[in-house]
Amino acid sequence: MTTWEGLLFGLGFALQPEVLIYCLLGVVLGTFVGVLPGVGAMAAISLLLPITFYITPEAALIMLAGVYYGAQYGGAVASILLRLPGTPQSAITTLDGYPMARDGRGGVALFAAMVSSFAGSVFGIVVLVMLASWLSRAATAFGAADYAAMMILGLVAASTIGTARPAKGFAMVTLGLLLGCIGTDVNSGVQRFTFGQTELLDGINLVALAMGLFGVAEIIANVRDPERQTVDQRLGFRSLMPGRDDLRRMGWPTLRGSALGSFFGALPGTGSTLSSFLSYSMESRIARRPERFGKGAVEGVAGPEAANNAAAITAFAPTLTLGIPGDPIMALMLGALVIHGVQPGPMMLEARPEMFWGLVASFGIGNLLLLILNLPLIGIWVAMLRIPFHLLYPAILVFLCLGVYSVRGLGYDIVAVAVIGLAGYLLTLAAFSPALLLLGFVLGPLIETNLRRAFLISRGDPMVFLERPIAAGFVAATGALLLLSLWQAWRRRSDKRA
Amino acid sequence: MRRDWPDLCGGLALAAVGAGAAGWAIVHYDLGTLRQMGPGFFPAVLGAVLVALGLIVALPALGRAAPAPKLEAGVIVAVLAAILIFGFGLSRLGLAGATAACVLVATVPAPRKGLGWRLLLSVGVCALTVLVFSFGLQMSLPLWPRLP
Repeated sequence: MTTWEGLLFGLGFALQPEVLIYCLLGVVLGTFVGVLPGVGAMAAISLLLPITFYITPEAALIMLAGVYYGAQYGGAVASILLRLPGTPQSAITTLDGYPMARDGRGGVALFAAMVSSFAGSVFGIVVLVMLASWLSRAATAFGAADYAAMMILGLVAASTIGTARPAKGFAMVTLGLLLGCIGTDVNSGVQRFTFGQTELLDGINLVALAMGLFGVAEIIANVRDPERQTVDQRLGFRSLMPGRDDLRRMGWPTLRGSALGSFFGALPGTGSTLSSFLSYSMESRIARRPERFGKGAVEGVAGPEAANNAAAITAFAPTLTLGIPGDPIMALMLGALVIHGVQPGPMMLEARPEMFWGLVASFGIGNLLLLILNLPLIGIWVAMLRIPFHLLYPAILVFLCLGVYSVRGLGYDIVAVAVIGLAGYLLTLAAFSPALLLLGFVLGPLIETNLRRAFLISRGDPMVFLERPIAAGFVAATGALLLLSLWQAWRRRSDKRA
Repeated sequence: MRRDWPDLCGGLALAAVGAGAAGWAIVHYDLGTLRQMGPGFFPAVLGAVLVALGLIVALPALGRAAPAPKLEAGVIVAVLAAILIFGFGLSRLGLAGATAACVLVATVPAPRKGLGWRLLLSVGVCALTVLVFSFGLQMSLPLWPRLP
């Protein structure tokens, strides 16, 4: 199938009424949770996971993806009007978005965020299509050692890049890998760490883990949230319209952000939060008058918002064509597909064209829907910001319990959610990242299988990781990252002494 | 005492989990060789790595101070109790009963005072869950409390 045939085929699939409804539902729900501080895309996707068991895997993926990029649009609203990032990806938008809102230019900031998000998504879609077909061709050359090396690179990258304390990141990834061992060992049939509990034979339930780590932990952390302060201003349709000067300033940052985001989104272990930070620091560095940044520069909104949306879309390329999720949200998407009995891999484009091309087309449709819906509906989202959290969280809690229960019909899983939720809250409190734990958990069984296979093929010779060019490249990149983080730690220590 | 308690406790707890997992794997599962890894190999290695990482996080924390984060004990107890009540009560109290109990317990630590809004909210959430899960998604669950 050529690209054009694929796109037309995908459009035909994604425009079917029942698929379109799920796409719309996904983006609207995503915007909703993105707007609400305290409920992130991770929590929303894990909440919706069980509900998707009632629909086809294609529609499920389209809806969950819609939640993800919809949340990026919504996150910007809270960042700009409340200085509270609705999602971590839009945290950087607060720096210039909130000052704009304080100066009465909140409407323009929202417009810039929406339009550059849309532009970033379109850019990301183009890159995704090119990258996915290239990757699925390249993936035929991948052996077990290459897969294992690539996944390890992803884990190392996720725990070192953009984290303050790499050791804590590594610890979380390792704990996740260890939790992934629980259950029946595929190779030998031995029950590992089940302690006689039959409920654990298939391992820890992914939905219970995700809901405990993100849903319950986020609820506990936010119940006593202090009152939120909204910037009170009328946001009519007219206030959204930027001046010619704003439009001129938005162009290049949006394009640069899109390119940056597309690149980093596709790399294992980086993802959209990092790309938005990088885009901001790039814009503030190359600006002719950098002192405007932090005081309401529209470039500081447009660049990062384009970057995080582009990254959110290109992140699907390795997830769908190699079956390797690059960041925790992709890990959740992959988990959802596996629960549906779909194992993504190099054959995905050929074997399930409606899944890949349908998703690509739904990206276009969903982002267009977001653009058309959100500009006029901005008033409704702003009103949402005024819903107090204490009216929301009990309902979220009940939905979360029922969602977990619906997966297997076991009360055991609800109890597990409570235990995991407590652990997740304590980890967050001590600044350990539960998202990295989830990434390790999903990748764990994949890494173990591929490592065992690689060593079996090489008769126990570890040189296999250096002899194969693909694996050697990943090993070299992993080594470079480790050295870099060691060097940074050493420099920090000598800075302190000096 | 001036210590970085979160890092110290977190690191030590992780090291303990790692030691436990590695020890259990070595005692109970076959380790195999590098060529033919047994079921115990991967967890034993991971456990050892986790011990090392836990100590790397914990030991430097002895020598520095950090502000202790605020532990919301009341909120934790209420939210976890609400989940457990729902989990254990679902079969006995029915969907409506478990939902109402869960909402009432969960709202205890909420910043707003009064009983009225709590009752109203639990009725509202009950109606929503029954509509969505029982009528909408056709989940087979008892709706009302079972009378003895």
